[in-house]
Amino acid sequence: MASLLEIQNFSYTYQGAPGPALADISLAVNPGECVCVTGLSGCGKTTLLLAVKGLLYQGAASGTITVGVPGASSNGSTAGMVLQNAESQILCTAVSEEVAFGPENLCVPAEEIGDRVETALQAVGLNEYGSRTVEQLSLGQKQRLAIASVLSMQPQLLLLDEPTSQLDGPGKIQLLEVLQQLKSRGHALLITEHDLGPLHQIADWFVTMENGAIKNVTRKSPAHIAPEATPSSGRRSSGITRVLAARNLSLAYTGTGEVLKNLNITLARGELIHLFGCNGAGKSSFLRCVTGFLSPQSGEVEIAGIAGPRPEQLLGKVGFLFQNPQRQLFEDTVFAEVSFSLKRMRCDTGEVRQRVMDALSLCSVDHLVSRSPLTLSFGEQHRVALASVLAPQPELLLLDEPFAGLDFPQRYKILGILSELRERCGTTVVIVSHDRLPDPLWADRVLILEHGAIECN
Amino acid sequence: MAPLNVIKPSASQNQPRVNGYAFQYRAVDSPVHRMGAGWKLLLGTALCAAAIGGTNPFLLAALLIVNAGYYFLARLSVAELARDLWFFLIQMAVVIVLYMMRYGVPEGIWPGVRTSLRILLFFLPGIILLRTTRISQMMYSMRRILPYRLAFLVFTSLRFIPFFAREVREIAMAQRLRGAHLAPRELLNPRNWQDLMNCLLLPLIIRALKTADEAALSAEARAFGSYPKRSYWNSANYQNSSGKTAAVNDMEIKETL
Repeated sequence: MASLLEIQNFSYTYQGAPGPALADISLAVNPGECVCVTGLSGCGKTTLLLAVKGLLYQGAASGTITVGVPGASSNGSTAGMVLQNAESQILCTAVSEEVAFGPENLCVPAEEIGDRVETALQAVGLNEYGSRTVEQLSLGQKQRLAIASVLSMQPQLLLLDEPTSQLDGPGKIQLLEVLQQLKSRGHALLITEHDLGPLHQIADWFVTMENGAIKNVTRKSPAHIAPEATPSSGRRSSGITRVLAARNLSLAYTGTGEVLKNLNITLARGELIHLFGCNGAGKSSFLRCVTGFLSPQSGEVEIAGIAGPRPEQLLGKVGFLFQNPQRQLFEDTVFAEVSFSLKRMRCDTGEVRQRVMDALSLCSVDHLVSRSPLTLSFGEQHRVALASVLAPQPELLLLDEPFAGLDFPQRYKILGILSELRERCGTTVVIVSHDRLPDPLWADRVLILEHGAIECN
Repeated sequence: MAPLNVIKPSASQNQPRVNGYAFQYRAVDSPVHRMGAGWKLLLGTALCAAAIGGTNPFLLAALLIVNAGYYFLARLSVAELARDLWFFLIQMAVVIVLYMMRYGVPEGIWPGVRTSLRILLFFLPGIILLRTTRISQMMYSMRRILPYRLAFLVFTSLRFIPFFAREVREIAMAQRLRGAHLAPRELLNPRNWQDLMNCLLLPLIIRALKTADEAALSAEARAFGSYPKRSYWNSANYQNSSGKTAAVNDMEIKETL
């Protein structure tokens, strides 16, 4: 069978980079085949997809990439690429408009675009959403829209960059059904992903990359090796001092309805909690309620000994790491970034220095103390942001989707840091996520937020 | 390509997930939505010009009624109007207070009302244009005036207004918990404007640059700019005639390679 994608001895070095991002890559993908590429962050997965799509410029390339069956006719685009972040790759306000964008660029006649839009939306199960605005879609629906907007260009080969990373369980299942159907129709799929679990059922080959090169190609998914020290073996919750208590918390949005319904929760000092819920379950709304950014319609909140808190009262007592915490970095050096809260707490210079170095050491970024946060790698930025919220040694640390974009070793490292934080400072840690934790034994309690209420697993 | 099996959306998925943002396109059918983008631009320009030139209270009152009629003819709700005008109402309050401080009460009231009302009336037609016109319609209408790449740049940025509204809120929340003085009341104090610049605007600019990179990559990955011209499809009539899409009027391919 002729390959849809054939890469032979391809290497690529970004302009000004000390070493190659891709080194001597050789790979073939046949029609109806799904190849899953995995590896640590920065190993070259996304660069490989960009190379196949022909979106790498200015760097030095060698070797060949051939896309499409030689001699076969194509009235569309040979390879279509779906980027990692659905939010920033959607360019139009209406769903059907977004799907029509690619064919319009290919100068497809208007009459034909209508049919293509309809077919592509049907393929991803969004045909009832064509006239809606993009902002009305959930994250999972946006991810499927991104696929539809590529399918309308009728590519033979689909390149997907971490398509499941932002999706919850049901979202992943729906996406996998779509991919399975595309595969059975003869589309070739080249997917990069950290979490291979969901892709077992559709992947034919697993390719592991390391430092820009292919390390091995297997039929079986490579396993993640968890470090031994990850589980929370340290000091357990005393169960006495209450750090967070919410009673009969209710919150509703106009148009969306009730998000939290008489929610009750009590967290003790030193507990490690995993708060689990699907996309749109109200996890972020809950966090905003307890930190005083949202006023609930009814109910009471007491956090770090403060009843009905305002955000400004929580400085030094509660740390909050938002999703994509790189967004909060702004200082010139890592030291200044991590010391920001301590200075606002009016700690003296010696104490600031001590606490900053402790936090940096805990997060294994003390060697970066003089660097600019903005020049660091994604994982390093993540840990600097974490260090900046735990430097004040808060009683309660809230983390909203802290593993987004991180590979598995980095996820385990974050869990290790949080266990160590509890050990050193007795901090209560709450991880809020739509996905299971890399180490299911890490949490003392798993709380499930569903239908606006919390139940303990 | 034949359609694949359809995944039926659940009832909960049919619920809108957001409450909506100011100036966001509203997908409903109305006479204003059906009006061509070019006509809306012309009408808007006329209304803006009248707002600039209008000093007479009767003219301003008439303009206010016309704009309100225009807004509600587009089947936009009072809640959406409140969302759109929130900033302008604050602006009105500030301007009127400043005029009263300068000229006293009641002498300063009418000049304050007049000036702030003219500002509001100047922007309202543009808001209605954004609320009722899809990006593709605007690009199509502007294609003779602006190169399509430039039109794309201008109108695609509108799509990211809700995205950046969310970003502003989330970055501000994170920084406030770190001790930055970014609460609305704190920002009235000029001494806290440094926090506004360093802790909010700087990260936002970095985020905007990154998002612009990703959006450009997304456009390029879908062949944007591959050809000197592009075709246009009118998405406004999607789902007409039993779900069949329709290419409407003169919106057909004009360009060939």
